[in-house]
Amino acid sequence: MIPLLAGASAIALFVLLLVTTTAPAVAVAGLVGLLLAAVAIAARWRWLATVAACVFLIGYATALWVESGPVGIVPALGFGLLLFFLLEAVDLACRVRGATVDGGVVRSVLGRWIALATGTFGAATLAMALATFFAGAVPAAASPLLAAAGALGSVWVLAAVIRRAV
Amino acid sequence: MTGRVAPLTQSLLVVAAWAVSLGVLSARPELFAVAVPTLLVLATLARRARLPDHSISHAISSDRVFEGGAATVTVTVAARSPIALIELLGPLPPGSALLSGRHRAVMTLGAGGTARWSYEVRCPSRGAHDLGTIAVRVRDRFGLRTWERRHVDPTPLRVYPRIVPLRTLPRPVHAQASVGDYVSRALGDGIEPGDIRQFAPGDRIKQVNWRASLRLGQLYVTQQHRERNADVVLMLDTLAEVGAPPETTLDLGVRAAASLATAYLARKDRVGLISYGGVMNWVRPRSGRVQYERVVDVLLRAEVVFTYVAKDLLRVPPRVLLPQALVIAITPLLDPRFTKTVLDLAARGFDLVVLVVSPVEVTRATVAPSPAGDLACRLWTIERRSALGELRRHGLPVLEWRPPEPLEAALVNARRRRGRLANVG
Repeated sequence: MIPLLAGASAIALFVLLLVTTTAPAVAVAGLVGLLLAAVAIAARWRWLATVAACVFLIGYATALWVESGPVGIVPALGFGLLLFFLLEAVDLACRVRGATVDGGVVRSVLGRWIALATGTFGAATLAMALATFFAGAVPAAASPLLAAAGALGSVWVLAAVIRRAV
Repeated sequence: MTGRVAPLTQSLLVVAAWAVSLGVLSARPELFAVAVPTLLVLATLARRARLPDHSISHAISSDRVFEGGAATVTVTVAARSPIALIELLGPLPPGSALLSGRHRAVMTLGAGGTARWSYEVRCPSRGAHDLGTIAVRVRDRFGLRTWERRHVDPTPLRVYPRIVPLRTLPRPVHAQASVGDYVSRALGDGIEPGDIRQFAPGDRIKQVNWRASLRLGQLYVTQQHRERNADVVLMLDTLAEVGAPPETTLDLGVRAAASLATAYLARKDRVGLISYGGVMNWVRPRSGRVQYERVVDVLLRAEVVFTYVAKDLLRVPPRVLLPQALVIAITPLLDPRFTKTVLDLAARGFDLVVLVVSPVEVTRATVAPSPAGDLACRLWTIERRSALGELRRHGLPVLEWRPPEPLEAALVNARRRRGRLANVG
């Protein structure tokens, strides 16, 4: 059941890529990601799943760049959730390999995913409202620098959190 | 309990960093949004980790089984706080196989919840195992942190060698003082009729041989032979073995030793054991059910320990290697040191029987049939026949057991012409 969840996540990512754009380059990237994900699920290989997720991300970035359409946060959040589902499902599949799996495990995972999806959309809505409120106060020229600094800062903070948790 | 960050955390960090980097490079805010779920999950690491509170207990259906027997391991997990995911790796003795279920389990437990899981293990080879260690790994809500520990509760499982009932056994030359199954040459209380002699004061009326008394005109009594037990020492060769477990020459030798010990103990004999190899172990001859446990305990642990040192039997205390005991040497005769020891025992006047476990058939069973292999086995057989002939020329009774033929078939040849037992203590 858990490998099925991982496979469904990978297929959903591929479909979302194709929905975003039908450019051949994106389709190829999606297929590569799908293939890598399939191998990762079959071989229960976490790092290959990570590579597959990165390839899907490249495909999504390419799709956004090709389309150059208006900003769509909800599909992007969905894409991010699917990436997490793929990684967690492959990780779980690794853990349950050759094991007796209690029926509650899958129910518990699905429950967590629903809670995470709800929390993500709630947090994103809040963040969007705050961003809209503060957008006027930031000079246009400083926006890229601010975005880069924010991104770097958030990753750095996370790395520090993980390091502390180790 | 050891806590650590799980590999999933690194994967999520890589994906989040990659999404943010692509977002900065392509100037598309959607890619930042892609990273949001992953970053939210990773942010949960900032929370103080709470160690999951749970307890584990386990039991096995039987602590003693025979080779090929099965035991069921049941593990019970009780959670006092919610456990998102707990992985359990149950014990599996080396060389054993799962009959039903799996020895790994993954489960989710709510606060106050209890889960039970069991699996059946088949143990094809003898040994003393401890099924008391369970590896436990508990995962947090999103699988970012894990805690690992080993639940240790000693649970021994003893896999006894298979025993075959034996009706024919090598008879000892000397008997001992206690009551047993062997008809002694000495006269006294017993069942087997012996000589008759003239009645003497003190003789009981029931001993009077009326037929002889009427014929000879005087009172005669029938004397009986005493029935006594004997001392038997099993000497197991653990210097070398061939074959694949659980059918090595040592395994077969252990089964033979266990069967012989059972049969002799059933006849009220005192049975001892010497495990002769790189490490020497011995059990002093005694009788009774407890002695069987002592003998089997050494047999369970018998293994080949390589050594260049030739062990001297003088190290074995005389109370173990009793001078009037029947010594049954069980050996594949692969190591010349054991042959030398056997000849040494014979030269010291021990009542000795050599039970040779043929390694040719055991080896033949492990290699693919081929003309070259067949020829090699035939040559080896000829060579071994010569070696056994050499032992027989020294006056040693040599019994060759060629598995898979039954042990009884080899022991039938042990009907040595000994007549009645010589001396009784």
